Amino acid sequence: MRVIGKREVASSSSEGFVARTGQEYEALRLRCERRLRELEASEPLNQVSLPSLLRDRGMSRRSFLKWASATTALLFLPASFEKLVARAASVMNRVPVIWVEYQDCAGNSEAVLRADGPTIDELLLDVISLEYQETLMAPSGFQAEAQLKDAVETFRGKYILIVEGSIPAEDGFGFNGPRGEGFLENLKRLSRDALAVIAVGSCASYGGIPAAYPNPTKAMGVWDIVKGKPIVNIPACPMNPANLLGVILHYVLTGALPELDYLLRPKFAFGYRIHDNCERRAHFDAGEYVERWGDEGARNNFCLYKMGCKGPMTFNNCSIIRYNDGTNWPIGVGRGCIGCSEPGFWDKYAYERPMAGANIPVPGLFELGIEKSVDILGVGLLTAAGAGIAIHAFLSAKYGKKSEEAPSSAPPKEKP
Amino acid sequence: MNGEASGKIVRVLRMPVSWRIFHWVNFLAVFAAVVTGIYIGRPYYQAMIAEPAVRKFVMGWNRAIHLYAAIAVDVLCVISFYLYFLSRFERPVRKLLPTKEHRREFLEVLANFFTFNRRKRFDSAELDTFNAAWFTLLHLLLLFQLFTGLQLYVYSLESGLSSVGGWWPWLMHAATDWTYWSFGGRMGVRWVHHFTMYLILAWIAFHVYYEIWRTVYWREGDIAIAFGGEKIVRRQPGPATE
Repeated sequence: MRVIGKREVASSSSEGFVARTGQEYEALRLRCERRLRELEASEPLNQVSLPSLLRDRGMSRRSFLKWASATTALLFLPASFEKLVARAASVMNRVPVIWVEYQDCAGNSEAVLRADGPTIDELLLDVISLEYQETLMAPSGFQAEAQLKDAVETFRGKYILIVEGSIPAEDGFGFNGPRGEGFLENLKRLSRDALAVIAVGSCASYGGIPAAYPNPTKAMGVWDIVKGKPIVNIPACPMNPANLLGVILHYVLTGALPELDYLLRPKFAFGYRIHDNCERRAHFDAGEYVERWGDEGARNNFCLYKMGCKGPMTFNNCSIIRYNDGTNWPIGVGRGCIGCSEPGFWDKYAYERPMAGANIPVPGLFELGIEKSVDILGVGLLTAAGAGIAIHAFLSAKYGKKSEEAPSSAPPKEKP
Repeated sequence: MNGEASGKIVRVLRMPVSWRIFHWVNFLAVFAAVVTGIYIGRPYYQAMIAEPAVRKFVMGWNRAIHLYAAIAVDVLCVISFYLYFLSRFERPVRKLLPTKEHRREFLEVLANFFTFNRRKRFDSAELDTFNAAWFTLLHLLLLFQLFTGLQLYVYSLESGLSSVGGWWPWLMHAATDWTYWSFGGRMGVRWVHHFTMYLILAWIAFHVYYEIWRTVYWREGDIAIAFGGEKIVRRQPGPATE
């Protein structure tokens, strides 16, 4: 595991240290201990206490410790950090969070609040001091705005801003609040005073579905707009609540954001491909594929690559932690991955058809599908080359002159 | 130019043994890469072997052969670029210099092709500028496949580890990440990698046709170059050839 940044929260710069040896892990443990002592000494912002919440919901201590153990593994920490993770969970109510929603379907809020639980992940998200969340909060209109203003002023420079949904850059799209403030201005204003911005879901990360061709609202992701602030992208459609929790927990535990990849995604969650940990990987290597929905291959859980599965191109941990508290995930239910955590996924990845047969119109490719356009253009090119060759050969045969026909330069034919 | 005079006909060495080996290895590697590459993009046959999935590697073998072929092509590409500059036999890079004489010769070769050999005003005994440029185009296409292919390969080594050490994925990232940004992400890189295959196939189609056409119309046995290394040319009697 790598902690980035010497400052309280750092961006994805190369500052920081890598913990790989025993000594480095010991240094990290001491750092986390110090950080947790500071947080435990501070006043909770939210009066919800985790132990009482767990008790009220009938969660046993054993369930909680199982959760702590799994989350320690999720963050790639050694087992000796389990107690620290458990302690960090109980001081999560010291972290102020403002959650705003823009152009989206609220799927990420739904993912957090889904009704099959409650799980410990969900309960922890109750513990977080959520100062503002439009879907959940009771106030509305001017009251809600007053609450937001109060939260921003009270926690200026200390709150984590969670953004859900894309931001339309085109005038006339996307307003919120009683004053009708545009999403773009709203994000700029709120991110200015934030400690860090976490973009949840593909829409907030890269524009997502609203940014799909032809992108009528000129939808963008947070990182296209917010500059000079630490940003974490937790893409996917919806994002996995465990990954959001992992990022916040990492911050609570270490005082720093986790190591990020080049798309600003936490590496603990997006550092490997779905394909590499897929339960059907053996069928891919073996050459056993589902050819049609419901065929013999589908009944035998063969690889979904030919049905358009984008697992080989997609970085996410859903093949390991799955969704809905580990119940299942797309490939587990027999349909391919649509690459929802990759930029531009709706145009480039999200088709449940053989890749070469997809026909998703994308800009610049003559309204043809991505893979299909290559084959059509390529076969066209080969046909043109073949036709050119045939025409040239025909004209050569009809009008061409073989060199021996020139008396001055042709070698004499050998007489038999 | 090495050759053996025999009356008016001279045999000219155009490809030494090493060049011919490179040529045919290159051909086999490109052929293997195309066949396996299409399978990787769209597996066109099912593994009908009666073994459990873990015991057969149809896609695995296709990928392995594709990568072995790519290694062969890449190594030959590097050798070719070396020979372009430092070959002891012939340095094609000299023919690529855009001098007035080379530009004239280039247009003359084209004129020869499009007049169906009714006009032939260049020395066909040696490498001409058109073919020099045409061969260079192939090597550039293969080099492009090297960059895009390694970009498609390196993201499976996201851990930064490899069997030969961390330097290898690092080097691949350093050398090929420009393709990721240039072609709009991984799907774009796939697109151009796949499309370039068609360009290479079209290149091969023209190359084979052109060498056959030269053989038929020039009557200098050009097609034999790839096999025996030599072709024949006619020489007018005079001090130059005697």
